[in-house]
Amino acid sequence: MRRGTALLLLAPAVLLIAALLGAPLAWLVRFSVHEGQVGVAPAGALTLAHYAKALGDGFYLEVFARTLGMALVITLVSAVVSYPLAHFMWQAPRRWRAALTILALSPLLVSIVVSSYGWMVILGDQGVVNRALLATGLASRPVKLMYTDLAIVVGLVHIVMPFMTLSILAALERIDPLLGEAAATLGAPRWRILWHVTLPLALPGIAAGTTIVFSLAISSYVTPAVLGPSGSNFITTLIWQQFTQLMNWSFGSALAALLLALSLAVVFGYVRLLTAAGVFGGPGRGAA
Amino acid sequence: MTALHRLVVALVAAFILAPIVVVVAVSLTDSPIPEFPPRGLTLRWYAHALSEDVFTTSALNSLWLATAATALATPLALAAAYGLVRGRFRGRDAIQTLLLAPLVVPSLVIGLAILLAFSGMGVRDVGARLVGAHVLITFPYMVRTILASLARLDPAVEEAARTLGASALRCFVLVTLPLVRPGVVAGMLFAFIVSFDNVSLSLFLTNARTNTLPIAILNYVEYNFDPSVAAISTMLVAFSLGAALLVERLVGLRRVVGG
Repeated sequence: MRRGTALLLLAPAVLLIAALLGAPLAWLVRFSVHEGQVGVAPAGALTLAHYAKALGDGFYLEVFARTLGMALVITLVSAVVSYPLAHFMWQAPRRWRAALTILALSPLLVSIVVSSYGWMVILGDQGVVNRALLATGLASRPVKLMYTDLAIVVGLVHIVMPFMTLSILAALERIDPLLGEAAATLGAPRWRILWHVTLPLALPGIAAGTTIVFSLAISSYVTPAVLGPSGSNFITTLIWQQFTQLMNWSFGSALAALLLALSLAVVFGYVRLLTAAGVFGGPGRGAA
Repeated sequence: MTALHRLVVALVAAFILAPIVVVVAVSLTDSPIPEFPPRGLTLRWYAHALSEDVFTTSALNSLWLATAATALATPLALAAAYGLVRGRFRGRDAIQTLLLAPLVVPSLVIGLAILLAFSGMGVRDVGARLVGAHVLITFPYMVRTILASLARLDPAVEEAARTLGASALRCFVLVTLPLVRPGVVAGMLFAFIVSFDNVSLSLFLTNARTNTLPIAILNYVEYNFDPSVAAISTMLVAFSLGAALLVERLVGLRRVVGG
């Protein structure tokens, strides 16, 4: 194919991204470097004051730190929970493959409102868990599970699991099956094969999954807003509050731009770091 | 595979399925509050859900939105994927990264940016900004699926058609397109589900008068707790999983989702 033809085929798509992603993002950044707004347009002098406020004020830094901490917990838990499933999918007979794929991907295939509603019924004061706790006498009155950080972790781990599982599975599938057999022939017990052969080779998958999951977790809005404590305890809920309740679009835009920078830095920076450290056996894996 | 591993996997599967199973079970309960395990069995919450205007109107909106977004994204994605696979030029990787960019930018940021930019331009139509946002978010999945299908296509087939005198367009329509059709259909189905189920973008772009189904469900739960939400949710789940099964049959879900 001639170069001109290829570029012509790509032009509409590039225009789409430029018009619906590039230009709106530029407009958002424009808001963030203006003093304020008049009507729906940024107005006033150019300033970096909103960024200074976001990065200088203890309150906002605390929200950023809290979000990063939660994202870290969610990433770790999802890796621990997803690994056994990915390992199982890797070793399972071929005919189970479709069913297992649907199972592993189901949190992604079901709308987040459905799973959120499900968690409400499970974690609520009169929910499944509390009724079981009361019935067995493990608790004398309902334990508060809904609208807590725990509920955010449960809900988000559920949603991000497919990405972690698929990343790990992709790495496992690149392992030469003869390696494990060789280790077994030489008398290595199962746990040693897992620890010394399989896990190190699954590391690129775990690393890729970690990247995706962490960036999804810091930028999630629906789960913290629906399942979490009221008030702004995540960067995203804080941003939304700036727009809807405080009508401070410029400051909200600055926070949104910082969130974008942070999540892009995670995706591209972490992958580069890991590639340099040789975690991804060769070039070309990218951000998976 | 040890017994311990099986037990752990069973627990993980239970965790994955728990919220979905609970919603389906609750939709059948014969009590005015969501109870699990359900007390008695009834389909009356389905009747109730289908008689609620908030659900039926918003479901129709969602249907239109998903159809429009898919219809607009498909030709763009098809052309772009074909250009990427068959074109040889510098900056190919950069363009591919750019086309998949909507997947790495946080939904909240996309939603806000589109909201601000559209109102800045004086476009206050909810439909316009919803379609714009949904095309943007479904497009990368389609590109990815079609790229995967094209990559598995032997270029020799196309070369043969060209050698025998077919024009580039004829070759594309009569040779390439039929061969990648499963990938295109799978991409369309997945795009449709992504749009139909979307909450994280629609939340910022809908308003009190124009809603999508997931947003209507979210709003309903805030003030009502009756099992009709579970009933409408179950229908949504059946719809999404049905489409997902088709995608799995056609090209395999993993090709669409990536990883």
